[in-house]
Amino acid sequence: MSAESCTVRLTGLRKNYRVGEASVEALKGVSLDVLSGEMVALTGPSGSGKSTLLNLCGLIDTPDAGSRELGGTVIDKLDEIALTRLRREKVGFIFQGFNLVPVMTVYDNVEYPLLLLGVAAAERRQLTLTALQQVGLEDYALRLPDALSGGQRQRVAIARALVKSPALVIADEPTANLDSTTARQIVDLLHELAHERNASVVVATHDERMSSHCDRVLHLIDGELQ
Amino acid sequence: MKWLMFAWKNVMRNSRRSLTAMLITALGTAAVLGSGGFALFTYESLEEMTARDTGHVVVANARGFEGDEDVPLQHGLAGSPALAAKFAALPGVRAVAPRVQFSGLISNGDKSAVFVGSGVVPEIDFRLRGPQMNFISGQPPASNSPAPEVVIGNELARLMKAKVGSSLTLLATTTEGNLNAVDVLVSGIASVGVPEIDKRLVLADLASVQKLLLSDKVGTLSIYLKETADTEAIATRVREMQPELAVKTWRDLAVFYQAVRALYDRIFGILGVIMICIVLFAMSNTLGMAVVERTREIGTLRAIGTLPAEIVRNFVLEGMLIGGAGTVAGMLLAGVATVFLLFAGIEMPPPPGRSAGYPLLLSFSPPLYGAVTLVVIVLAACAAWLVSSRAANKPVTEALAHV
Repeated sequence: MSAESCTVRLTGLRKNYRVGEASVEALKGVSLDVLSGEMVALTGPSGSGKSTLLNLCGLIDTPDAGSRELGGTVIDKLDEIALTRLRREKVGFIFQGFNLVPVMTVYDNVEYPLLLLGVAAAERRQLTLTALQQVGLEDYALRLPDALSGGQRQRVAIARALVKSPALVIADEPTANLDSTTARQIVDLLHELAHERNASVVVATHDERMSSHCDRVLHLIDGELQ
Repeated sequence: MKWLMFAWKNVMRNSRRSLTAMLITALGTAAVLGSGGFALFTYESLEEMTARDTGHVVVANARGFEGDEDVPLQHGLAGSPALAAKFAALPGVRAVAPRVQFSGLISNGDKSAVFVGSGVVPEIDFRLRGPQMNFISGQPPASNSPAPEVVIGNELARLMKAKVGSSLTLLATTTEGNLNAVDVLVSGIASVGVPEIDKRLVLADLASVQKLLLSDKVGTLSIYLKETADTEAIATRVREMQPELAVKTWRDLAVFYQAVRALYDRIFGILGVIMICIVLFAMSNTLGMAVVERTREIGTLRAIGTLPAEIVRNFVLEGMLIGGAGTVAGMLLAGVATVFLLFAGIEMPPPPGRSAGYPLLLSFSPPLYGAVTLVVIVLAACAAWLVSSRAANKPVTEALAHV
């Protein structure tokens, strides 16, 4: 597999956590390539290292050993500021708990990544409204997140992730605690994001409904990919 | 503008806590502006009082300020009318008042007391002294009266059992070292508000005093200006014109003013520091709690690409909004208090050594208001920066896991 076709290339990633006096090895040399437009599910029991791998993949944590590439760029030697700028441009996040800013309206939450990127006001407005239309929430733009249902909030989070057309989307248990219909909508949205927008989507999930729709399902046990 | 709007929304997220911080800031600001306004009013009053007493610029013989004369007017100024006319012609000069300081005994025939007197030109001097000299009865002495006239202090009048129209005798040492006496009529009884001075005060017509002392010299020429701010410029000009003479400003001669100013500067300076600390702690507490509550949100914003400096900037904006709103409220409070006191007519008790109180007023000073606003907003920004920078630099995963 060539580096050009890969959005993410992880090689020999190791990560240890210190718990009191003991050291716990969360990842034991994990290697993974995710292609552009591919949707990959990470499954495994709690404590298997899914979240650690997701954090390393999304550049919000650093490995103890191994190397990472994002869009062909080796990122191991980048400092925190450069990593943040890279996340700003190329990575979208969808959290299990939605993590929307409660004082911002739906519109403001979705617009926020574009503000960070310094997109001009007119273009920002157009992109934000388009993203809201894509998740079917254009009529909810001026509402606060607290006034929405769980499924609607997750769709806002997806709109916030997709508004900047990221190369990589990291989703941590995006369908947990959602009813079947809503979960199905979220799965479809992520699927569309990967295949129509050519984004790489890495999803950590316990949910069969989600993993069954992914292009690849990777099983992680005790810090190793099976 | 967007960032400011987000900051305001975050400020109003816990409105009760933010309002408390704003209120503390408002009270601190009002306290600093109130005490500062009071100090400024006191300084301005003392400036005016001192300048009315001594004149803005005082000119004497080279040794005239040394106070070591063996006989009166030993170091007096000769040819004072010509000098006075020269100084009076300077732009910005309102009047020039020649004066002679002298002392001796005053007697009503039965009883004598020590007096400390001034020979003045009544038409000039009493006009310039204004409200500083409070006439209890009578009027200023007339220059061309056939019998010399004097104004005496109310305490001295009580000691001498004198009233307006009473005849008294002044006994003083002449410039030749002999004793000389003159009978005077009391034209007025006045008070300068300081009992110790009122017990000895005699103000007489200059010509009569010169006749008593057997000299045509004067002790000093007091130059009164239209604007106090011109004092240094006129003093410099006078020094250039008459380099052989000694020239002092009212500030050089205002020992009481300097002492009060030094004392008030310290008292109100310490009060200001205390207020600043209170505002700083209130702001740190409010924003510190907000930072702790929003740590998870900070993690989210960091994950989606917000730089630590941008997180800090958002909190700094919040701090500045709270500080700014508090300052505006504080300025309004101080402004209302200033206007209220202007009409309320509240009197302060007499200061130590004085017999009259003074009005409790606050000066409105735009530079003071501007400086306090700037300090409070900068403090609020610093407090926000201090409490948020640690959370903003926390590892993202740690911030996201914050409960």
